[in-house]
Amino acid sequence: MPCVLVAEPDADVRQLLELTIRRLGYEVATGESSEVDAVLLEPACAAGQSVVRRFGDNGPPVVCFSIYPREEGLAPPASVAYLLKPSSPVAIAEALRDAFGVQPAI
Amino acid sequence: MSLARRRFFLTSVALCGLAVLWGVMIAFQWAGKLGTITLAPWVALLGFDLGVVGGFVGAGSMVGLWLVTADLQGTALDNVQIAVRVGSMVALGVGAGFAGRLLRESERSQRSVAMLQTALIDSTLDGICLTDEHGEILISNRPLRRLSAELGMPQSGSVPERLLAIADRLAEPERYRSRMQELATTTGEATLDEFELVGSGRVFRGYTTPVRDPNGGLAGRVWTLREVTADRELDRMRDAFVATVSHELRTPLTSISGFLEMMHDEEEGLGESGRRYLDVIRRSTQRLHLLVEDLLLIAQIEAKRVELQLEPLDISELAERSVESIRPTADEKGVAISVVAEHAPAVRADRARISQVLDNLVSNAVKFTDGGGEVRVQIDAEDGELRIVVADTGIGIPEEEQGQVFSRFFRASTATQQAIPGTGLGLAISRALVEQHGGRIAVSSRVGEGTRVTVALPTTP
Repeated sequence: MPCVLVAEPDADVRQLLELTIRRLGYEVATGESSEVDAVLLEPACAAGQSVVRRFGDNGPPVVCFSIYPREEGLAPPASVAYLLKPSSPVAIAEALRDAFGVQPAI
Repeated sequence: MSLARRRFFLTSVALCGLAVLWGVMIAFQWAGKLGTITLAPWVALLGFDLGVVGGFVGAGSMVGLWLVTADLQGTALDNVQIAVRVGSMVALGVGAGFAGRLLRESERSQRSVAMLQTALIDSTLDGICLTDEHGEILISNRPLRRLSAELGMPQSGSVPERLLAIADRLAEPERYRSRMQELATTTGEATLDEFELVGSGRVFRGYTTPVRDPNGGLAGRVWTLREVTADRELDRMRDAFVATVSHELRTPLTSISGFLEMMHDEEEGLGESGRRYLDVIRRSTQRLHLLVEDLLLIAQIEAKRVELQLEPLDISELAERSVESIRPTADEKGVAISVVAEHAPAVRADRARISQVLDNLVSNAVKFTDGGGEVRVQIDAEDGELRIVVADTGIGIPEEEQGQVFSRFFRASTATQQAIPGTGLGLAISRALVEQHGGRIAVSSRVGEGTRVTVALPTTP
């Protein structure tokens, strides 16, 4: 089952994202040990930035979900989609499906 | 000293001199005017024993002489001669005293006028100077001397030369140079744009206006220079605040709208009132979302970060779409809405952005028009431009507020009094988008009669 790592500073939004991921039939990565197939992150927070650093350029596809528009240049190079909050869970689900399509699960 | 007073002063001196030779002069002051009386022994030549001659003073100068003569009995000629000599000395002294006093008074009043002028022009924070037609400084105030020293301007030369000398110390020196050259050749009104001193971040704004002679020719210029660093800093803080708010609102908005969407499947389990409450939450969330999007868009437009995707567009088709999307609301309110398009030429424009402008104008028109009213969208061509007129029969905008309707967050009093919801961003965004297309937007309105918004867009040549 594909596994998605979530890096989001707001607890309520994180809960929403995890719910969306589970409803899609994916798994939510927990801790550093999990095998990660895609990352859903807020690039404008410390957790998001540390995930970007951890995977470097050859990590899993990244879907950005941010309070800042794409033009702010926060998206890491591995981003395959960039969504501005408050995009709907439907849009997030589509972006994640596309992410798996772009790069098959490792 | 005025010319009249100078003439009078010279006349007094001349009379004093005459008095030395001819008689006794008594200077007197009457009703604030200086006069002289001279005992004139030369009248003896005319056959009189004694004469008194005096000056008529009018409008501050000697306008005539008067002479009174008398015959005296038994006065020795020697005594008269002695009296004449003593009197001459006294008269000279008195005359000189008056002359000196006159001079001092005049100097004092001249000095106080000059002091008043200097105090006046020094009392402002703006640097001010007046130049002749060649740009040479005639008068300047202390703030100007301070500001030009801080800007590193040379202390000599004409003002355009001094201004040009600092071009390399400014951000965008080329634009500044061409502006200065433009200014050196023009005789019309001109504002200098703001310019920023590299390194310090200090921002200055210059303004210049011509001084005309009575025939309308250029007699010189008045220049003012003001530091606007603090104003710019306030603008920057306001923009940063608005941007922060619009970004930070996105986090709670994400969970509100996200969980509302999640609830969709569970709505069946709710009672009728529960579903109604949920609708209210949805509508309000949608409004909040639109507000956040508008705030972001206007920040991007002002930072010139919105790029237009230009393509040939049929504006009447876009107008039809905007009208159709608002029609359910209009029908519900009982507002008639129609589009009239005549020979609308094609324009090159950004579909999404122009649609946004049309949506804004049409929804405003419906929003501010009561049931039974009418909204008409008219599209035609005029003077090589495409013209879009959105006219309603709504509540209108007071005349004194019409100049502000395109400002961010401005809301007409007619709208706020009736608690008609809105953010005051729609027209600000519309204007910015229209202007980015090289077009213009204007509003005319009468309270209680309606509002007309006119958009002009350049047509494809």
